[in-house]
Amino acid sequence: MARDAVIGACPHDCPDTCSILTTVEDGKAIAVRGNPDHPFTQGRLCVKVNNYQDRVYSDRRVLYPLKRVGPKGSGQFARITWDEAMGEIAERWKGIIASDGGQAILPYSYLGTQGVINGLNVGDPLFNKLGATVSERTFCDSASCTAYMMTIGHTPGVDPESFVHSKYIILWACNTLSTNSHHWPFIERARKNGAKLVVIDPVRTRTARLADWHIPIRPGTDGALALALINIIVKEGLVDRDYVEKHTIGFDALAERAADYTPEFASAETGIPVEDILTLAREYATTPPAVVRIGVAVERHAGGGQTVRAIACLPALIGAWTHVGGGLLQLPIWAFPVNWPGLMRPDLQPETMRVLNTWRLGPALTGEEPMDPPIRSLFVYNANPMAMVSQQQKLEAGLAREDLFTVVSEHFITDTAKYADIVLPATTQLEQKDIMFSWGHLYLSYNNQAIEPLGEAVSNTELFRRLAKALGIDDPFFFRSDDEMIEASMDWSSPVLEGVTLEDLKAKGYIRLNMPAADDWAPHRDGNFPTPSGKCEFSSTMAAGGNFVVPLFRQGYGGSQSGETVDPLPHYIAPNESKRTSPDLAASYPLSLISPKSHAFLNSNYGNLPAQLAQAGEEQAVILHPDDAADRGIVSGGAIRVFNQRGAFEAFATLSPDVLRGVVVAPAGYWQRSNRRGATVHALTPPAFADLGRGPTFSDMLVEVASA
Amino acid sequence: MAYVVTDLCCGCRYTECVTVCPVECFHVDETMTYIDPDNCIDCGGCVPVCPVGAIQASYLLAPDKVSWIEINRARSAETPTIISKLPPLPTAEERRKALSA
Repeated sequence: MARDAVIGACPHDCPDTCSILTTVEDGKAIAVRGNPDHPFTQGRLCVKVNNYQDRVYSDRRVLYPLKRVGPKGSGQFARITWDEAMGEIAERWKGIIASDGGQAILPYSYLGTQGVINGLNVGDPLFNKLGATVSERTFCDSASCTAYMMTIGHTPGVDPESFVHSKYIILWACNTLSTNSHHWPFIERARKNGAKLVVIDPVRTRTARLADWHIPIRPGTDGALALALINIIVKEGLVDRDYVEKHTIGFDALAERAADYTPEFASAETGIPVEDILTLAREYATTPPAVVRIGVAVERHAGGGQTVRAIACLPALIGAWTHVGGGLLQLPIWAFPVNWPGLMRPDLQPETMRVLNTWRLGPALTGEEPMDPPIRSLFVYNANPMAMVSQQQKLEAGLAREDLFTVVSEHFITDTAKYADIVLPATTQLEQKDIMFSWGHLYLSYNNQAIEPLGEAVSNTELFRRLAKALGIDDPFFFRSDDEMIEASMDWSSPVLEGVTLEDLKAKGYIRLNMPAADDWAPHRDGNFPTPSGKCEFSSTMAAGGNFVVPLFRQGYGGSQSGETVDPLPHYIAPNESKRTSPDLAASYPLSLISPKSHAFLNSNYGNLPAQLAQAGEEQAVILHPDDAADRGIVSGGAIRVFNQRGAFEAFATLSPDVLRGVVVAPAGYWQRSNRRGATVHALTPPAFADLGRGPTFSDMLVEVASA
Repeated sequence: MAYVVTDLCCGCRYTECVTVCPVECFHVDETMTYIDPDNCIDCGGCVPVCPVGAIQASYLLAPDKVSWIEINRARSAETPTIISKLPPLPTAEERRKALSA
């Protein structure tokens, strides 16, 4: 019996990018486990990935190309060959391009696999060359990234391993133990050394339960708190004058602006007592090294961008950057020398491209959002929009269009794939090779292929090679091997990869970027922010260019940005939907709903698999405060209907004082088929964009709940 | 849902599990360890390091082991947290051999 342990890396859109050992016996993967040698992920995986081999060998896997044989959405398919599938796609696309132009084709994808060659940008060169509509993918951290760029630039920020030196740690809108769990031991070590851990979250999450101080906050009001912290720090003389003078711009204007945001104002907005806001500001400013880790959820409301602007000002204001373990952690992805232009190939684009934001897919397909020419073909990979995109009912109507030619590359017949005309079988991470960045640590990873592809499944790289061939493209760029693509995916001459060879990386599975050691590194002790001024910009010079989405999220395309005017100073934008801003709406729908990541799912991944459903609960639960439930005659475990002006879904009630009164929590990721009436929480989520970067506003919505 | 220490730990108590647990959810008495189900984050890191395979995800327990879910919950409430490894019980090696035979 041949038995091997193959070193790989987790493919999921999670900050941790764990190093994985796959045990392979006679060509079959029999188990996965965490690689104990990895300094950050330390031999553990998580509830999602512990049984990854069951995902690979699931009897529900799509293993052959399929063609629709029943009505749209019926899920009736017949097996076809790859040649037939490619032939039909090429023929349909050539016809569409001839009659309506490339813009009538829309790619739709995200990070179902996060590998550099199979992930975010794998289809960009082809769709750029075809002149297809640009898919503006602002699923995650886009509002935050725009705000972060405008304030401190694309810096990796604080090394997550430097947290061991922190004395004051604020996890802001981040449920570390469910969504970033390999960071926890570093936080825990800091606490052993005397650090205080503060969690700011509307819910007493499992992370908040273990914190020294949980500060519950009304959804969507984090900006008011951040601005009040600035107000107090300025008013009480807690500013690091020397740092501010040397390494920031716009302090006087910021101080003047923040004068409006008193603790009393913030208390009224956030529901946090004035005394607690004062204590937080004083402790944060006087307990160095102080660090803030923001989660993705912090952006998901009308003022999400300006919230991150305000939070990103805080560390410079108190000179936190002068200490190892002080500053801000958002996305260390910016440390990786990824050859983004080589992956996206914006040079292949025609001069102007049409841009469609991914959150507008439903109305774009139904024609409610005017599209000339209309979208005639949709190509989905690495994504399951039916489970995760707002305006679900519109998307369902759009996907049901008989004249829409939909192709979906997938592991499973998802809620989206059900509507496809052609389904293509995709490989899992064990069946493909890739190189992986991380947005939660500073290790570049390599995923060695552990097993041969099952059935006729192909990697995304191979899928796009086949499409290019079927379309008659002859540019050799489109026919590079995976090894050539991996070689070209990084700037190997970058100082952070000095001395690193691909062979070493393959053998070890991971390598730390050549950054200074986490125990010594204060990245902005001497300023050096990658902003236009080289300083932390309290008053943003980039704001003059108006609102934008970073080109990484839009196939490298810089044109046709939304460009709304942006105030160069941080300010508070109240939620669109709240008792204070929309009292009429709140009269009908008095509860705020948030939809955080489920503990056992990765977005909609695993929402169909038995082990994760066994651990998350087979059916969507909605968590209510016992008093809100009692007011409505709702009992624990009872069937409930959650509804607003946009739609309704059904679930069962879980009662817990861990949620604020007036807040209900629907962990996202359940598929339509595990909901009682076929709709998920995204039948209710709002279509509005956050103020910057066109992020979603999922934590900015009102609902009512009743017994079903 | 949490992971569960089963009776295979009795008489061994190697406590390798506590060296990998990121959330200090192990408790201990004179015979074995227990997992606090309210703190366990389901990472499963303890499973492969246990020399006798005593730890299992609760949803995978055999019917005759299901009672250990409640035993872990009850005993973790009554016993102290353990955060570093202890010497195995004197009977450990003998029992490990018996279990792997």
